Amino acid sequence: MKKTAVDELLLVNTTVNGRAYSFAIEPRISLADTLRYELGLTGTKVGCEHGVCGACTVLVDGEPMRSCLMLGVQAEGRTIQTVEGLASGLKLHPLQESFKRHHALQCGFCSAGMLATALALLRDNPTPTRTEVREIISGNLCRCTGYETIVDAICDTQVAEFMRGEQRG
Amino acid sequence: MVNNVDKHEVVAITKAAIGQSIARKEDATILTGRSQYIADIRLPGMLHAAFLRAPFAHARILNIDLSAAKDLPGVELIWTGADAARYTAGITASLQVDNYCATTQPAMASDEVRYVGETIAVVVATSRRVAEDALELIDIDYDELPTVNSIAQAVTAENLANNEVANNVIYRDVRSADDVDPTFASAEKVVSGVFYNNRVSASPIETRGCVARHEWTNGLLTLWSATQMPGYLRTILAMCLQIPEHTIEVITPQVGGGFGQKAHVHPEELIVCLLARELGMPVSWIEDRQENLLAGTHAKHQINDMALAFSADGKMLAMKNHASTDAGAYNCLPWTASVEGKVGTSAMTGVYKIPLAHLESVELATSKCPIGAYRGVGWTAGQIARESLIDQAARELNLSPFAIRRTNVIQTSDFPYASASKIVIREGSFLETIDRLESMVDYPSFKARQTEARAQGRYLGLGISVFNEITGFGTRAFSQIGTPITSHDTATVRVDPTGTVTVTTSFVAAGQGHSTTFAQVAADALGVPVDKVVVRAGSTANTYGLGTFASRAAVIGTGSIARAAEMVRVKIRQIAGHMLEVSPLDIVLENDRVHVSGVPDRGMSMAEVAGAIYFAESTHPENFDPTLEATATYDPGDAILANGGHAAIVEVDADTGIVKIEKFFAVEDCGQMINPMIVEGQIRGGIAQAIGSSLLEELIHDENSQLMTTTFMDYLLPSACDVPEIEIAHLCTPSALVPGGIKGMGESGMISAPAAVIGAVNDALACREIFLTEYPLSPQRIFAALNSVNE
Repeated sequence: MKKTAVDELLLVNTTVNGRAYSFAIEPRISLADTLRYELGLTGTKVGCEHGVCGACTVLVDGEPMRSCLMLGVQAEGRTIQTVEGLASGLKLHPLQESFKRHHALQCGFCSAGMLATALALLRDNPTPTRTEVREIISGNLCRCTGYETIVDAICDTQVAEFMRGEQRG
Repeated sequence: MVNNVDKHEVVAITKAAIGQSIARKEDATILTGRSQYIADIRLPGMLHAAFLRAPFAHARILNIDLSAAKDLPGVELIWTGADAARYTAGITASLQVDNYCATTQPAMASDEVRYVGETIAVVVATSRRVAEDALELIDIDYDELPTVNSIAQAVTAENLANNEVANNVIYRDVRSADDVDPTFASAEKVVSGVFYNNRVSASPIETRGCVARHEWTNGLLTLWSATQMPGYLRTILAMCLQIPEHTIEVITPQVGGGFGQKAHVHPEELIVCLLARELGMPVSWIEDRQENLLAGTHAKHQINDMALAFSADGKMLAMKNHASTDAGAYNCLPWTASVEGKVGTSAMTGVYKIPLAHLESVELATSKCPIGAYRGVGWTAGQIARESLIDQAARELNLSPFAIRRTNVIQTSDFPYASASKIVIREGSFLETIDRLESMVDYPSFKARQTEARAQGRYLGLGISVFNEITGFGTRAFSQIGTPITSHDTATVRVDPTGTVTVTTSFVAAGQGHSTTFAQVAADALGVPVDKVVVRAGSTANTYGLGTFASRAAVIGTGSIARAAEMVRVKIRQIAGHMLEVSPLDIVLENDRVHVSGVPDRGMSMAEVAGAIYFAESTHPENFDPTLEATATYDPGDAILANGGHAAIVEVDADTGIVKIEKFFAVEDCGQMINPMIVEGQIRGGIAQAIGSSLLEELIHDENSQLMTTTFMDYLLPSACDVPEIEIAHLCTPSALVPGGIKGMGESGMISAPAAVIGAVNDALACREIFLTEYPLSPQRIFAALNSVNE
């Protein structure tokens, strides 16, 4: 394997929120910083930079990943979805609507990661139990809400209906 | 008619939007990732700062070698403490009471470091990573000094944590000095304990940070900071940096949680402003999690040595308490170290009729990060001690935890009640709270379950805690708790030419939803729909005020908005009366219309009236002043007291020491709620933090005062699996002191819920004669306790 100097720029081709990107970055830059500062997608938040708080969670090839623990260069060839890719046009995603309806956010710093984790869960299982939801989101820390309204929002029937439609779709 | 002089005035306000659980106006922006938090700010040419922090808790700095760091490509500037000292003396903090020991924390340490994490040098570079690389290249020689690691060590004064603080004593206070000894000597039941509360971190998920820009051509300094107190910060910047205040603008962007940690002036904020001026380029500083845990102010570290005397039938006769605060090396600004023990002592007798009290507190300097504000600051530790001892007395006197509290609470007929800790209590629903909690818990069925569980070798426990909380801190409330601070805030209300309403306020938000709740208040004050109101906050270009802390915003925001709106209403009624040829006193504003009282058809839209005032002079009465905006300040006439209670049911796993919270109950009486959905969010969030602080979270220092818990792997925040579903009940006792009867709230979870969690664990383990007084109740502590007693 070729050794790369710390400041050598590597070319990355990746798809983020349906758009193809091609850019050159230092290999040591995290995916979170890559998204935020190379691509200007600052909706992804960074809370601990050591993989515990989950604020930076994004979907990489559909799977929730901590973007602080992945390197930007590892985005090569991947398909990434961030919080900016959730709404369609000027319409919130039903899960976003549900978060709003259930007051599932206060300061909002954990919301992008929470939405990513929840979306991955709901794509597999549109009607999880509250216990399943709590287990799945236990890797996403929220300091404001006490979690209950987040569970309410994820278990919302309108969300389930939409996600079932997507599964069939 | 609003009296411009009376800042305490309670303006009448109708309630249409107030009381509704309206979805938040701010949510769509946040949920789409479009809100701008501090780390999202990118200015042209912006540089990045990183701080070198002390690796020792107490050491002399002998030599600093910057040469290798300066040579690193991308490094623009490196400053040490001596460089900063050329421009600022640092942060002096004191309390305006006799014999208070002021401390001055240098903006960066230059000769001596006094806690791990104190700043020593700062690198400004083209990126944060280059700045952090440069930190690694700075070489410093230290001479380590002895540290003061605990309250016990501070008391001996063998070593000093900070040579400004003689004997390590920052402040010693006697709040109540009743002669309680004869009562204790003759009492039929005395319970006592020494309660060691843990040092914790507020740990907002967004760390601290700020961005400064100085424009040399016009002298304007702009500081974006994730602060809860932009107005106050601006004044302090002016004073500490010798920069004229009018040339400074402080902007609070979207804030990712504050909880009190962001209600301080941090030394880093001074430095970043100076760096931006020095370099003529914008400078950003975003701290990492380790820095936040090291230096983002610590909280709650108290020891309470308490005793309670009871009669045989459970009546409280007297209280003794000595509160010691492990304060760290400096006073934080503005609160000082006294924000813990001294403030806590003022509420020590709580909602109970305790005739006599002897209450002392001392704040002691130690070799640690300064203690500061965190939700429920001051009250938490004392609440745990008092409620734990009440439970202990109930067990020993064979009374239920509800009955013993009912026997002792202050009742409506006692108001105004001057407590032994010298708070005048004028309002509250303490008895109703206890009754409601008891029925929510279903006490008889819990007792049956507990007995059944015991027979199976399982440990179930119930803990309850009843509280009141001074909210809406104005000048008189601060005075009552012995911290003389003049405290009021200002709002401007404008009716725009098209009849919409623009409110500007000094209250910034960190998740509390002010854009929505203040709009609800202004909508009702002017009779317009909520969606015709916009709330502008977050810049010192707006109205001035101290900021968002201590459950102030609902009370003082409402009071100031209602007073300003009333001044505007006067104008609207005046011109509408003139146009409709009726007395202005007969004009009402409702449903977006201005009409004759009782005759909705005889009137016009708000837009028509506003349009006439701005653009149709022919409609004006003679000598009409067409100003359709007003600015007003509000300072509550007295302490506004909210109250409530918490109950927790837990199961302790005797094999692992792990506590499972089965169910949690909360009763809250914050008077008239503005938005019940948001109130419940505050309750749940506070309780989650309470579960963290009582079971999981602990900042642990080693024998050299080195912090051992500097990641979220070691400092454990509660997750969705640690926090149960919470059942909430509302009582509503409106305050006569605030427009609309609104009281503040938001801190109750962290004031009172820790006592409920701890009480529940102690109740579960009481059958093994275990009574735990060192916190948090981690599995290790519980496991050790279970193994130290016989089956």
